[in-house]
Amino acid sequence: MPETQAAGSNGVPQPYARPVTIVETQALTQRFGPTVALDGLDLQMQPGVTGLVGANGAGKTTLLNAMLGLRIPTSGSVTVMGFDPQKAGHKLRAKVGFAPERNVLPDEMRAVDFVRHLAEVQGLPRSEARNRASDSLWLVGLGEERTRTLGTMSTGQRQRVKLAQAIASDPKLVLLDEPTDGLDPVQRSEMLTLIGQISRDFSMNVVLSSHVLEEVERICDHVVALDAGRLVACGPITELIGAGDGITLELVDVAEPAGSVEAVESALRSGGLDVQRTETTLRLRGADFEELCDRARDAVAAAGARVRRLETRRRTLEDLFEDAPR
Amino acid sequence: MTDPVPGITPGADTADTADTARIIDQGYRSYDGPRSGLPGAMRSVVRFSVRHTLGLGRSARHKILPWLAVVIALVPAVVFVGLAVVLDIDMIADEILPDYHEYYDFIGFALLFYCGIVVPDILVADRRNGMLQMYLSTPLQRWSYLVSKGLAVVLTLAVLTVGPVLFLLVARTIEGSGPDGFAEWITVFVRIVAAGVAISAAFTAASLAAASLTDRRVFATIGVVALLWGSGGLTLALVDVADMSERLYAFDLGGISDELKNRIYGVEGLAPLGGEPDLPEGESLPGAGRAELSTLFVVAANLAWVAVGSAVVWWRYRRLALSR
Repeated sequence: MPETQAAGSNGVPQPYARPVTIVETQALTQRFGPTVALDGLDLQMQPGVTGLVGANGAGKTTLLNAMLGLRIPTSGSVTVMGFDPQKAGHKLRAKVGFAPERNVLPDEMRAVDFVRHLAEVQGLPRSEARNRASDSLWLVGLGEERTRTLGTMSTGQRQRVKLAQAIASDPKLVLLDEPTDGLDPVQRSEMLTLIGQISRDFSMNVVLSSHVLEEVERICDHVVALDAGRLVACGPITELIGAGDGITLELVDVAEPAGSVEAVESALRSGGLDVQRTETTLRLRGADFEELCDRARDAVAAAGARVRRLETRRRTLEDLFEDAPR
Repeated sequence: MTDPVPGITPGADTADTADTARIIDQGYRSYDGPRSGLPGAMRSVVRFSVRHTLGLGRSARHKILPWLAVVIALVPAVVFVGLAVVLDIDMIADEILPDYHEYYDFIGFALLFYCGIVVPDILVADRRNGMLQMYLSTPLQRWSYLVSKGLAVVLTLAVLTVGPVLFLLVARTIEGSGPDGFAEWITVFVRIVAAGVAISAAFTAASLAAASLTDRRVFATIGVVALLWGSGGLTLALVDVADMSERLYAFDLGGISDELKNRIYGVEGLAPLGGEPDLPEGESLPGAGRAELSTLFVVAANLAWVAVGSAVVWWRYRRLALSR
C-alpha cells in the first residue's frame, strides 16, 4: 500500500507525512442528474507521468475537475498531494498547472502576455512571471512566436501555449486535458516528446488525459483507465500491459484444408491456452513466447493447416478495455 | 578590438575571470522563490481586468467604447476650464465653472454608457471564452475572482466619477476659485473621492448583477439600461405621479446614488445645473422628494443596492457549472 500524505482537519497536509501518492480517491462518485459520470472510483496515482485514458464521456475531465476542486463530488473523497481540494483548494491549486481541453485562449492577447498573466495569478512575482513566461514559451518551441496574438496561431501552437501557461509557475503537478486534441501526427509526436521532457527534466508530475491509447503507452509511467465512469485499470503501465510477459501470438489466415482453423483452435484450447478467434485469425495469449510458438507449431502441423502470417503482439491498453467486465 | 566585458579586467588571467563568468540566459528552470498567493492572484486579476476593460494593450477597436465614455465624461470639464482660461476674467470664470456636485449631471450619460456597453464584458467574456475555468484552476476561488472583478470595475468607473470632478478641482485651484485654504481643499477632495466611489460601487454591483445573468453581451446591456433607466422611471411614476411613499425612491438607482452624492457634498435638494427653474405654485421637480429622506435611509438604500447586486452575482456564480 503506497504511503500517502495525511490531510489535517483543515485539508492541509501535515508536516510529518511524506507525499508518495500524488492523487488518491475513495469511492469518488459524481452524478449529473441521472448520469453517473464517476462511479465509486478507488484509485491512486503515483509520481511520474500518469495517463488518464478512456473514450469520450468516460469521466476523464470530470475526474480532473474533481482533482482541482472545481466540482463538489456527489460522494466519496479525493486527495491531491495531500490536500483536500474542497477544503484547501486554493493552496492545492497554487501547486498545480492545468491546461483544459477546450479552447480558452483570448484571441486578441499576445501569447507572452497570456502566459505571464496566468503565471502571476498562480502566485509568481511580476518580474519573475515575465521572465518565466518567455522561458516557458521558448521551452515549448514558441520562443520566436511569443509576441504573436493567440488568434493568429495554429491549433498546434495554441496547444503549446496552453502547455506553457500550465508549467510557467513551476508547479509540482501538471494536469493536461487532451493536450494532443486537434493535432496532426507529427505535432502529436512533438507534443508527447515535450510532455515527457517536462516530467523528466523538471521533475514535474503529469496527469495526461487522452482517448488515444498509443499516446499514453508511449510516455506514461502509470495508467488510470476509465470506462463510462468506472475504473477499468489503475497502476504502473509495465504491470498492466506487461513488459516482456503477456505476449500475444497471432496466427493470421489459418486456411486449407477446410475446417483447419477450427481444428487448430480446438487443439490449442485443449492444451489449456487462452485463444481468441476472429474469422480465420487465432490470437494466443501466454507468458512464455517460446512455449506459445511451440504449441502453435504443433497444432498447425497436426491439422495440416497453412498459416499466411505469424505476428507477435505485446499486450496493449486496448486489451485492458476489451478484458474489462461489462 | 572587442569591448571589455563588464567586471573583467582586460588582460587578466583566465583563472581570475572564471569567478566572474556567468550564464545570462538559463532558459526554463525550477523556481523556489517567493510566491504571492491569493493576494497576488487578486492583484493580477484586478490589474489585468482594468487594462482589459480600458482596452490597454489591445487593438484599437477595443479602446473605442471605454475611452468614448471617458471623453463624454471629461469633455465638458475641459470645455468649461478652457472657456474660463480663454475669457480670463475671474468673475465670469467663477460663473462658468460648474460647482463640483453639479458636474455629476454631465457624468450620468457616460456612466450609463459605460455600465451598459463596457462593464458586462468583464464577466461575460470570461464565461464565454473559458477564462473563468482557467482562473478557477489557480489559487483564485469564486469569491476572490468576483471581488477582483468588482474592484476592477469600481476602479475603472472611478475614472468617470472621480476623474472629471478632480480635474475641475485642480482647474479651479489653479484658476484661483478653488477651496479656501488647505483644510477646505482636502475636504472637497475627500468629498469628490467619496462620492465617486459611492456611485461607482452601486453602479458596479447593479451592472455586474445584470451581466452575471446572461452569456450574451447584448442582453446584459439591455439589462443594465433597463435597470438604470427603468428603475428611475418606474419610481418617479409611483412617487411623483401616483403619490406613493417617498421611500420608494430607494428603488431608483440613479436617483438614490445621486442623493447620496448630494449628502456627501452637503447639498440639499436637486440642485440642478443652472439653478432652480421657476415652477408653478405647488409643483416641484421630479425626484425632489428625495430631499425628504433621511441621510441614514439614503446610505442604507445605496448599501442595499450594493448588497443585492453582489448577492445576485454570488448566487449566479455559486451555481455556475464550469464543465463536465
